[in-house]
Amino acid sequence: MAGRFYKKGLSRRSFMGTTAAGMALAATAAPRSSLAADDTVKIGFLAPLTGEVAAWGAPGLFGCEIWAERVNAAGGIKAGNKTYKVEIVSYDNEYAPDKARAGAQKLINEDEVKFIMMLGGDTMPPVVQVANRAEMLVSTLLPSDLTPDTPYLIAPCEVHPIYNVTGVDWLAANKPELKTAVICAQDDALGRPSVATYLAAFEAAGIEVLDDPLFFDITTTDFAPVMTALLAKNPDILCLDTCYSDYVHPLAEQAYLQGYKGQIISCTADFYDQMIEKTSKEFMEGLIFQFPDFDDPALNQPQINFNDPNGFFTEYNKRWPGEWGAVSWEYASIMDLWKAGAEKAASVEPMDVLVAMKSGGTGKHAFGEARWWGKELFGIDNALVGDWPVVVIEDGKAVIKEYRSIPAWWDKHKDLMIKHFEAMGEMYYQRA
Amino acid sequence: MLELILQTSVNAIYAASFMALVAVGLVMIFGVMRVINFAHGELYMLGSYCVVFFYADQQFPILVATCIGLVFVGVTGILMERALFRPLRDNPLGGLIASIGFLLCAQAIISMGFGVRAEHVPPTTQQVIGLGIGSVAIPLQRLYVVIAAVLLLTALYVFLRHTRFGWALRACAQDAKAAALQGISLNQTARIAMFIGAALAGTAGALTAPLVRVYPYMGHSVIVTAFIIIIVGGIGSLEGAIVAAILYAFVHTFVTTFADGVTADIVGLLLMLMVLVVRPNGLFGTRERA
Amino acid sequence: MTRWLGFAILAVLLVGAPFVLSFSQQEIAVFLVINVLIVCSYRLLTLTGEWSLGHFVIVGVGGYASALLSKPTWLPPETAAALGGGLPVPLAMLAGGCVAALVAFVLSFPLFRLKGFYFLIGSFAAGEVIRLMWKKFRDPFGGPKGLKSVEGFPDIQLGDISLPMWDATNYYYLCLIVVGLSLWVLYRIERSRIGLTFHALHWQDKLAESVGVNAWRYRMLAFVIASFFAGIAGALMAHYLGTVNPNMFDVEPMVFVLIWVIVGGTATFYGPILGVVVLTVLNEIVLRELGVADQMRHLIYGLLLILAVLFLPKGLESGIERLRSRFRRREDSAARAAQPDVA
Repeated sequence: MAGRFYKKGLSRRSFMGTTAAGMALAATAAPRSSLAADDTVKIGFLAPLTGEVAAWGAPGLFGCEIWAERVNAAGGIKAGNKTYKVEIVSYDNEYAPDKARAGAQKLINEDEVKFIMMLGGDTMPPVVQVANRAEMLVSTLLPSDLTPDTPYLIAPCEVHPIYNVTGVDWLAANKPELKTAVICAQDDALGRPSVATYLAAFEAAGIEVLDDPLFFDITTTDFAPVMTALLAKNPDILCLDTCYSDYVHPLAEQAYLQGYKGQIISCTADFYDQMIEKTSKEFMEGLIFQFPDFDDPALNQPQINFNDPNGFFTEYNKRWPGEWGAVSWEYASIMDLWKAGAEKAASVEPMDVLVAMKSGGTGKHAFGEARWWGKELFGIDNALVGDWPVVVIEDGKAVIKEYRSIPAWWDKHKDLMIKHFEAMGEMYYQRA
Repeated sequence: MLELILQTSVNAIYAASFMALVAVGLVMIFGVMRVINFAHGELYMLGSYCVVFFYADQQFPILVATCIGLVFVGVTGILMERALFRPLRDNPLGGLIASIGFLLCAQAIISMGFGVRAEHVPPTTQQVIGLGIGSVAIPLQRLYVVIAAVLLLTALYVFLRHTRFGWALRACAQDAKAAALQGISLNQTARIAMFIGAALAGTAGALTAPLVRVYPYMGHSVIVTAFIIIIVGGIGSLEGAIVAAILYAFVHTFVTTFADGVTADIVGLLLMLMVLVVRPNGLFGTRERA
Repeated sequence: MTRWLGFAILAVLLVGAPFVLSFSQQEIAVFLVINVLIVCSYRLLTLTGEWSLGHFVIVGVGGYASALLSKPTWLPPETAAALGGGLPVPLAMLAGGCVAALVAFVLSFPLFRLKGFYFLIGSFAAGEVIRLMWKKFRDPFGGPKGLKSVEGFPDIQLGDISLPMWDATNYYYLCLIVVGLSLWVLYRIERSRIGLTFHALHWQDKLAESVGVNAWRYRMLAFVIASFFAGIAGALMAHYLGTVNPNMFDVEPMVFVLIWVIVGGTATFYGPILGVVVLTVLNEIVLRELGVADQMRHLIYGLLLILAVLFLPKGLESGIERLRSRFRRREDSAARAAQPDVA
């Protein structure tokens, strides 16, 4: 059984040696000034790189570095009559608000970056104070950071959790016989709005949610009790919400071990091959989620704006085996959007880029043309939504079944969404 | 409902055995050396990573990987004793800081070597054993942990009761100075205690590696629970640690199932505070000197 | 005389610091000053011989209380309006300190039944219960994400000049004043009869009790005073960051407080300050400026801790004291050498 597992193994451990050596090198010499001779535009990366939340930052930084190399190799960014090389400057905020504030000051005033990418969440409030005064463009992966007071904050890639409606919508259209569902999620800034979204989507699809959603704490380690409580309701559909992959895996494993045989829907299923190994191919067959593999041929369709997804995926896995996940490409796709904005604005200055990005109310999202939206849910139109892929596991492989339109769903069912967001206390005017 | 209660009890038994392993190790270390080993969770983490490396990557049999974990972490414990705790024997706060230093180093080294993402450990078995009452069942993999915990703790008990080392160990735990006067080598005893304590944590990590999230900061959640358990049980009391582990695991698992995890944490902590207010030296503790 | 000169030099250095620091270092300086108050208040508690693991949660109590009092979103809107919509921030900070002291007072009933290691873990459990309450009750504490739009400190008007308090330099001076005053009070307390009783409890608690000192009451007093100043520190933090959340106050920052205090040393008033300043400067400024990769930074920090306790087991302060006594001895012998040989 272990035989087919990990051809990666070897390469990863050789990487183990090289990283340690590389980090030791980085300790002695800072190679950052090597690009300084050219026109260089610096981009800040302010996210947790160490500590408990590091998995949401560090893999994204790796992706951005690959992105920058590829863009620089292709000649850089042409903004107006200047050509810029891109340099990513990172600051480890350890997911602490005070370090995030210090980091924002350093990136803005000392490194003079033109754009800052963040994970968001706990670290956002102090950075917004600084960024608003410095007129600095900042991006977040968590749209729940958006409020009317954050004019320079954009959520241009993952408008989590709104895209989750596409999965439920697809499920209802293709498996109408499934009528009941249970939901669980970790109790945090990702889990709660996502639960509200799934509740709205299930209601719109006529699927009954049995019992209140189950929230577990982010420090949970044993998921057997959680799953026991969930399966006690005998649902047709098990909704794992936006649980982190660290939770999705043990949850799925527990569901399998406790004899669950029904449909599973989840926001993410990072490393689903490992999930299959922990459960079975039959168990995982038909699992619906929202994040495609980047070697999926459907990503080569013309409307996709992520540049060479298959090549990026290959390069990433070569360099950082075992670290690929949603954040690996999300920060990079934000860079794509920023690059398009800078080229359109003919400038790299933050406010010019912001205006150019938002002009016409549409933008080039990774998964196709999308519109700037969010006024009704976040109080500001700084989230970019369009189509989002519905991904299903078929025969052990994630397959994009369809791109579904989020705005189309929203136009029909927005009242439901607002109702559930309000009930969850997640509307922007409730998030004091 | 009965099924739910039984299934929850099964879940709790697993949790109790795993916690008992960690907590008994911590009690050993504290009892003999009077040092608060804050890095105990990291020893547990190292045990898990032994399994990641030897079983998941190098494809050794799981039993071999677990034994390597036991020995490796035990030896790490001996090194810690020699390098950190022995020079700081009369300085418990210094020992605490040194263990925190070790903790930071261990986390950083593992993050550099294995990355910050959770590791994948393929299951050793997917068999589920039904208990014949409705759908109540225990996965074999969890049963292994229970069996290993019972075996190891029984062996430890026999060792402590019936060997000279065990006798010396208990003497040191009761009164180190008096023990030294009786000709017991403190260094030798501390070394054995540290080996056993660390090896238990490492084994717990190795055994549960296929069941839990293996990542560089996984020690954090364990250490907190372990401290609560050894306090409720009474410092220096192995029996106390085991009883407290069972008590805590049942309360925590049942409240998690019927309410939620945060409430379970709160209830667990309040329970412990109550025990302490009524019995300021824990359930099985003797009066703390100094 | 030399003492006053020393203080004058220190004052000039502290006031002048923002002019030589970079932007991010100014930010770090703000939190460093606040952390100085946290470690000094912590030391007051350790004088009685008890070490707490709940001190940083008490800091959080101050932060949460101050934030909630300055912006009473938890009251029905009419009531809030009738009350004038919350306390002004400076008053709320003071109230935050009082709430922290009050919480400490209540906690001292169960906690001071415990001693030594039991107290250490008991205080941790009590703090953790409070912290989990913030997580559990979304109203008014905001749940796991905490409070995200805490009122900022109002701008200070000096004649025609308005000093915006979101600015790091201005807030640094504010913190310097508040913390300076607090340290002076803490110092006076330690030197007072009460402070001497604290010391007595640490070294000879049976003896102290036998001469009629109510140990419980004095321990409680130390805990309450320490918590008041910890609460003030938390309030300073909350209104500057604009956010408080349960994660900020978990066991990790508490561990850092312990590190600072123990590595600095607790025998002298300045020991913990030395610890927090030296370690913060090393970790946040020196290692970051050297461009040390992030995981490596934690590794080096861990090694430094081990080296510090192995080679300066009595804290950095003991190093200073040693230097000082060596210096004095040399002075003495120099003086002796200078004297004419009488014999």
